[in-house]
Amino acid sequence: MTEHYTIEYVAENTYEHPVLEANWQFLIIPREDAHQQRIQIFFENSENAPWEFSRNGFDFTTIRVRCQGAFKTISFRAVFHLEKTEANPFEFDLGQLRGLPENPDELLLFRIRFSRYLKDTPLSRLPNRVKVFDFDPKHHIFENLIGLNSWVFQTLKYTSGATDVDTPLEVVLENRMGVCQDFTHLFLAIARHHGIPARYVSGYLHQGLGYFGDAQMHAWAEAHLPGIGWVGFDPANNILATTDHIKVAHGRDYSDCAPLKGVFTGMGGNATRHRVQVETQQQ
Amino acid sequence: MYLFTKPCPMQKRNTLFSSYPRDPGLFDELFDQEGKVTKVYSKLFNLYGKNSISDYLELNNKAKASFFNQGITFQVYNEATTREKIFPFDLFPRIIGAEEWAHIEKGVVQRCRALNLFLHDLYHEKEILKAGVVPLELINSSENYLEQMVGLDPPGGIYNHISGTDIIRHKDGEFYVLEDNIRCPSGVSYVLSNRAALKRAFFGVFNHYDVHTVTNYAENLLDQLERVKPGGVDVPTCVVLTPGMYNSAFYEHSYLAKTMGVELVEGRDLYVENDFVYMKTIMGPRRVDILYRRIDDHFIDPLEFRQDSALGVPGLFAAYKKGNITIVNAPGTGVADDKAVYTYVPDIIRFYLGEEPILKNVQTYHCSRKEDLEYVLDNIRELVVKPVDEAGGYGISIGNCLTDTEVEEVRQSIRNAPRKYVAQPILSLSVHPTFIEESQSFEQRHIDLRTFTVLGPDSSYVLKGGLTRVALRKGNLIVNSSQGGGSKDTWVLQK
Repeated sequence: MTEHYTIEYVAENTYEHPVLEANWQFLIIPREDAHQQRIQIFFENSENAPWEFSRNGFDFTTIRVRCQGAFKTISFRAVFHLEKTEANPFEFDLGQLRGLPENPDELLLFRIRFSRYLKDTPLSRLPNRVKVFDFDPKHHIFENLIGLNSWVFQTLKYTSGATDVDTPLEVVLENRMGVCQDFTHLFLAIARHHGIPARYVSGYLHQGLGYFGDAQMHAWAEAHLPGIGWVGFDPANNILATTDHIKVAHGRDYSDCAPLKGVFTGMGGNATRHRVQVETQQQ
Repeated sequence: MYLFTKPCPMQKRNTLFSSYPRDPGLFDELFDQEGKVTKVYSKLFNLYGKNSISDYLELNNKAKASFFNQGITFQVYNEATTREKIFPFDLFPRIIGAEEWAHIEKGVVQRCRALNLFLHDLYHEKEILKAGVVPLELINSSENYLEQMVGLDPPGGIYNHISGTDIIRHKDGEFYVLEDNIRCPSGVSYVLSNRAALKRAFFGVFNHYDVHTVTNYAENLLDQLERVKPGGVDVPTCVVLTPGMYNSAFYEHSYLAKTMGVELVEGRDLYVENDFVYMKTIMGPRRVDILYRRIDDHFIDPLEFRQDSALGVPGLFAAYKKGNITIVNAPGTGVADDKAVYTYVPDIIRFYLGEEPILKNVQTYHCSRKEDLEYVLDNIRELVVKPVDEAGGYGISIGNCLTDTEVEEVRQSIRNAPRKYVAQPILSLSVHPTFIEESQSFEQRHIDLRTFTVLGPDSSYVLKGGLTRVALRKGNLIVNSSQGGGSKDTWVLQK
């Protein structure tokens, strides 16, 4: 069965003083994979500035805009139509699941292959001396990760505005509050701590089912299960990633996946407002 | 003042060196163990000896004024009052004989080739890690490993186009490599200005020696860079990207652009359109094919790396990834000149080239290894401790110069972050007679040598000369300009 999604992304930038030149890079286009296919991409901006598709350092498609002034506000609007085949998060065969390699040579090869997603990063670094979720050696990796997913969900309270994009885990754990980014970073940190490759995923979540994740872009995690592959965990909602999770990009942490990066020549401060809306029709 | 133009029939007493305090425990480049002048220096020793100290002082002052007037200055960071200084220049040149030089040249090219293969491997198959020759942890903990470079093929397969290999001579007379600098090493403009200054002051002495020229550096550099132009480009446009006039090495950036005959640009002079890089000129946009950038990796593209960078070019990395521009040196080379990787360079040479290293490495202890850490903590007084990722001689502590409190402080910093430190035995760098203004006489001072290598896909060029840096404070072993070092013109003899 296929599901048809329409995603609208709007960003409004306002600047204190007129801007002479600015560049932006959007990492907001749903990626194409076995489960999702793009049908149409629409993009516009209020200044009619030229824009182009490009690819970032991790090979995800971006939209880059360059605008020459002078302007004090600019807004961007993107609409994506895409088709998804329904994904059952449990459709993989647990019989294929293996543990982490035990032979030192194999373990080294595994750690080299996944080194990018095993290293901690400034945003996904566990503070010292903090009691976190322990894996139970009697259970297999998947069960432990499900356990971790609900532990993160129970440990943090979903609170908008309590953190921002560069809040370290130390602060998140102290206040026990955060948004989907923080839930994801905590999940990544603990999974990596136990030697399981884990990556940050940014994308959209269809809100129809009352899930957490504002009218903003969403974040969740993917962990690599030996013998099976990458499996999505959404700790902010305590579920596995479903058809309603529309993936844009993955990376080591938020900073690899920031939906909007911008630089401008001009004085004073600036502010950005994002709005995201996901709609679906079954076909 | 033109000295030495006329032959002098009478051999006068050499007054310049009459009170030279020679420590026989040090390797002096000019005098052998018995105090006799070495062969390569003998003519020069006699030529210089015809001057009195006051002649020498006068020339010295003129040379200094000339450097200042030309703006050949640098700034020292981390000082309360940042001010322009000239890089002290010593008019007595350092000479390297043809045979010794051939050895050095072969050695640095071997090292640079091996490091280039190492970089390619680290960003592709990682065979050296799989073979366990270089530990994975070493690379994982390096902040200079750029994940964005994985799988990317730089034009011509070259990462470290320009390398500055620092070499010293130990008291056993052998050359050792102290550091590999492959993140846009600086200093080459001093080599060229030192030569020009010496020619102005003492041009007659060049008639007595067959010295290799250094002035062909820029044309050789440009030639090698043009060999790694992006595909499909006929006549490439090369530019030098500088962080701007407030950078300590701005003189060098402008000098290189001027001598290569290319534009000197700042980030704001460039822009990216359709993944091509353009330079804004009064004649309209002009495509840029080769970017010799003198800004750090993390600042080259605010849309890919540090967003707060005002120095870079938004979209540059995307253009690079597409193969539309060559960045020199390639981003991500810093992982291979990390001081912790240094220890493995001999193994890296054997692994990729199947050869024995031509130049020796200094024994290095990694504080990240448990047994090394204990050794370092117990023997700190006999060691030089260096942070692995700082350049310019910052953060170095030399064991035998520390007070008890300082020793404890160093121990504490090592214990807090063992991965951050390596230690080496205190080497006795060779010394060279150097004119000291305070005492108005020649004294022994420690020296090193920075060589400059330009690597191309199937050829290489080593500047026949280099920057001999002098530690001007007596007994000091740190020669970096930021730490009060000076420099000498360096002669490589043709035969």
